[in-house]
Amino acid sequence: MYPIATTTVGSGGVSSITFSSIPQTFTHLQLRGTAQSTGGGNTYCVLSFNSDTTSSHYNDHYLTGTGSTVVSGADVGTVPGMAYNNITYTTSFGVQITDLLDYTNTNKYKTMRSITGYDANGSGQVNLHSGLWLSTSAITSLTVSVASGNFASGSTFQLYGITTA
Amino acid sequence: MSVFLQPLQTVTVGSGGASTVTFTSIPQTYTDLVVMVSARTNRATYALDELVMTFNGNSSSVYSQTNLDGNGSSAVSGRITSTTQFTTTFATADGAATSNTFSNSTQYIPNYTSSNYKQIISDATIESNVSSFGYAINTLRAGLFSSTAPITSISWTGIGGQLDQYSKFSLYGVLRQGI
Repeated sequence: MYPIATTTVGSGGVSSITFSSIPQTFTHLQLRGTAQSTGGGNTYCVLSFNSDTTSSHYNDHYLTGTGSTVVSGADVGTVPGMAYNNITYTTSFGVQITDLLDYTNTNKYKTMRSITGYDANGSGQVNLHSGLWLSTSAITSLTVSVASGNFASGSTFQLYGITTA
Repeated sequence: MSVFLQPLQTVTVGSGGASTVTFTSIPQTYTDLVVMVSARTNRATYALDELVMTFNGNSSSVYSQTNLDGNGSSAVSGRITSTTQFTTTFATADGAATSNTFSNSTQYIPNYTSSNYKQIISDATIESNVSSFGYAINTLRAGLFSSTAPITSISWTGIGGQLDQYSKFSLYGVLRQGI
C-alpha cells in the first residue's frame, strides 16, 4: 500500500479536491479522508471520475445506522457523481475509507465501496456506501466535492495505491 | 516494499471462466489476512450470486455468520449457524446485471494462524444497475470458523454459476509491529 498524494484543506475552505494524473501502475486504489463542511446543515460528499459529472453515469446505494434505526437507500442517475460520506458542520469530522478495485481495467465498470461515519456525542451515523460509474475507462483522476458549502479547514484526503502479487 | 499490506497471491480469472478460485500454501508468517474481491459469475436469471467460501477444504458444519444487508430500499439483519461454508462475498451475475459490472468486497481475517477459532469480517457491495433487483446490495458480515487449525488455504465458488473472466481475487498479509 503506497501513498500517492495527500490534500489538506486550508483556511477559507474549498468546494472540491481533485487527485489528477493517478498512476496506472497499481491494481487497486484506496481513498482515506476526514472531512467537515462549512455549511449550516448536514451534507454529503460526491465522488466523480475523469471529470465526468453526467448524473446518468452514476448510481449509488447506502446502508446506514443512525444509533436508533437502520435504513437503506439509493440515488440512481440523479447525482453528478457518487453520493457518499455524510458530513456535518459540527466539531465532528466525518471519516471515510473508500476502495476502488481494478481501477485500470477497461473491461469493467467501476464499483466503489466506502465505510464512512461520524459521532457527535449524541448524534452520528455509520454507513456502508456503494457506487457505480457506468464507464469502462481507467480512472485517471478523481474528484471529491461537497454537496453544499465548502470543505472546512483541516479536512484531509489521502490517496493510496495497492499492488497485487 | 510495503509491509502494511503485503501482496501474497492474486488470481485473475481467464477466458472460459473458473468454477473455483483457491489460494493455497498461504504463508504462516503474517498476523492477519486481507482479501479483496472483484467478481462476476455466469449465474442465469439473477443479477447477483453468492460466493461460497471455505477454509482448508473444510466442508463440515463449522461455519456461522451474522449479516446486515441493505438493498437500496430496506435493511435486514440475519444469522446462519452451524453451516458448511461462509457466504460473506458476492458477485454480480450475467443473468440480469448490466454487462461489465463487478462486485467489490474486502474480507479481513485476523489471527489466522491462531489455535483459537477464527473470526472474519466482510464488507461487500454489488452494483448491478438493474432496477428489478434493487440495483444493489450493501452488506456487512461477521463470521466464525469454529476450527483451531491455522488457515492455510481459502476457496471461493459461485453458488449459481462459475466465475467470469476478469474476476479478480487479491490476497494480502498484514504484519504487526515488531515482526
